[in-house]
Amino acid sequence: MDIIDSISQFATQEPALFALIIGIIGAAVISGVVNVGAMLVIWGERKVLSDFCNRFGPNRVGGRWGILQLGADAIKLFTKEDIIPGDADKGVYVWAPIVASMATMLVAAAIPFGALHIGGKDYPLVVANMDISAFYVEAALSLMAIAVFMAGYSSNNKYSILGAFRGIARMIAYEVPMGVCVIAVAVMAHSLNLVEIVQSQTLWYAFAQPLGFVIFVIALITDLGRIPFDQSEAEEEIISGYNTEYSGIRWGLLYFQEYNNALLGSILLSLLFLGGWQGPIIPIPILDIISPLIWLFMKVVIVLWCLIWVRASLFRLRIDQVTDLGWKWMLPLSLLNLGWAAVVGSYFA
Amino acid sequence: MAGEPMAVDYYIPLIIFLIVGAIVPIAALAAIKIIAPNRPTRQKRSIYEGGLRPIRDAKIQYSVQYYLFAIVFVIFDVEVLFLYPWIYVYANRAMQNFMAFGLMNYAVFEMLLFILVLLIGLIYAIKKEALRWV
Repeated sequence: MDIIDSISQFATQEPALFALIIGIIGAAVISGVVNVGAMLVIWGERKVLSDFCNRFGPNRVGGRWGILQLGADAIKLFTKEDIIPGDADKGVYVWAPIVASMATMLVAAAIPFGALHIGGKDYPLVVANMDISAFYVEAALSLMAIAVFMAGYSSNNKYSILGAFRGIARMIAYEVPMGVCVIAVAVMAHSLNLVEIVQSQTLWYAFAQPLGFVIFVIALITDLGRIPFDQSEAEEEIISGYNTEYSGIRWGLLYFQEYNNALLGSILLSLLFLGGWQGPIIPIPILDIISPLIWLFMKVVIVLWCLIWVRASLFRLRIDQVTDLGWKWMLPLSLLNLGWAAVVGSYFA
Repeated sequence: MAGEPMAVDYYIPLIIFLIVGAIVPIAALAAIKIIAPNRPTRQKRSIYEGGLRPIRDAKIQYSVQYYLFAIVFVIFDVEVLFLYPWIYVYANRAMQNFMAFGLMNYAVFEMLLFILVLLIGLIYAIKKEALRWV
């Protein structure tokens, strides 16, 4: 494999230039992949939810499956009138969707999107392969809370500000258990690097620490603001929560970032607990190169399907129930899980 | 700039990603300046509040309870931050062999003690009803 050799030689000789080139190529490719992926997630969610409710869902635009529905929606959002409320804090109001998008891209920079299996070795597809990428991703994922607060606070609407307060209260209740779960995984993997965490999973961490897996899933759903924990935009109580005053493409951007985050969050869950791209190599000439990608893709689709399933089945919790669950149950249990990981990990890892 | 990759090299792509993440929505917002209609009236630009004219500003004084939660969060988040450097020491297998103390690994024992102190603090906060939502 001459190409790979020359690339790795170039990477060691000119690390800064290599990082610059990888950054530019990666930003172009990954922003495309993530945005198209988020559109597919939105379409898939509408289809699966309609199946759960025994109705059709999108079935007009783009044939029987309504695959072009999202394109039609985008055209509609772009041609809607741009309304900024007169009493809003204009600068913060305009910047909230932009900050949300920047936060999503920061997460996408450090998440491995899979690996290529060439010549008996796995080459992970990750732009910023930092030593602390698990910690970094977990921190960057929670930056969305800032965008939510900016949107809610600047709108100068009572429903929005209630949504923003609830969003922050919910986020800080689950940030700590989530961080402790990431640490528990890192203890067993002996590393905070996501690539090394995946490579160390001979036994999936979902089985090695089931308690941590459950806590992480709940904390992740909270972080993504999906249905049992979407108090910041509870439409039956506070209209639409933090994005009540947003309309047109400004609302579209905020909504879109939620699904970007849902996609990245499910990839993170698959990497940390479900073995990432590891799986048997398919012994067919071209499929064997991309077989790690196929495994990761399948896991992410299953995780996303389960997230939609949860949304279709569960009801929204009250905000005091949410904070109680976070502080009084999840935090002690996650510390217990960390103790378990430290003892078990030091003897069996 | 030849040699080993330095820590700063990992952060160059992050800056590029940050710029791209800002450019995409700014381009969308610039596009609607051109293609979207814009005929604002006072009614359109008012804040939604059940169809009536909004009463007073929305920047309300909120409950002191939020501050209590925020303080507890800061305490626990800083303590979680202490766990990350511990991982770095713990992850180093050479260090682990060096620190082998009979049956119990010293680093694990220390951290279990730290977690225990954390738990006692949490139980104290719960018993004091600092974490009761009102």
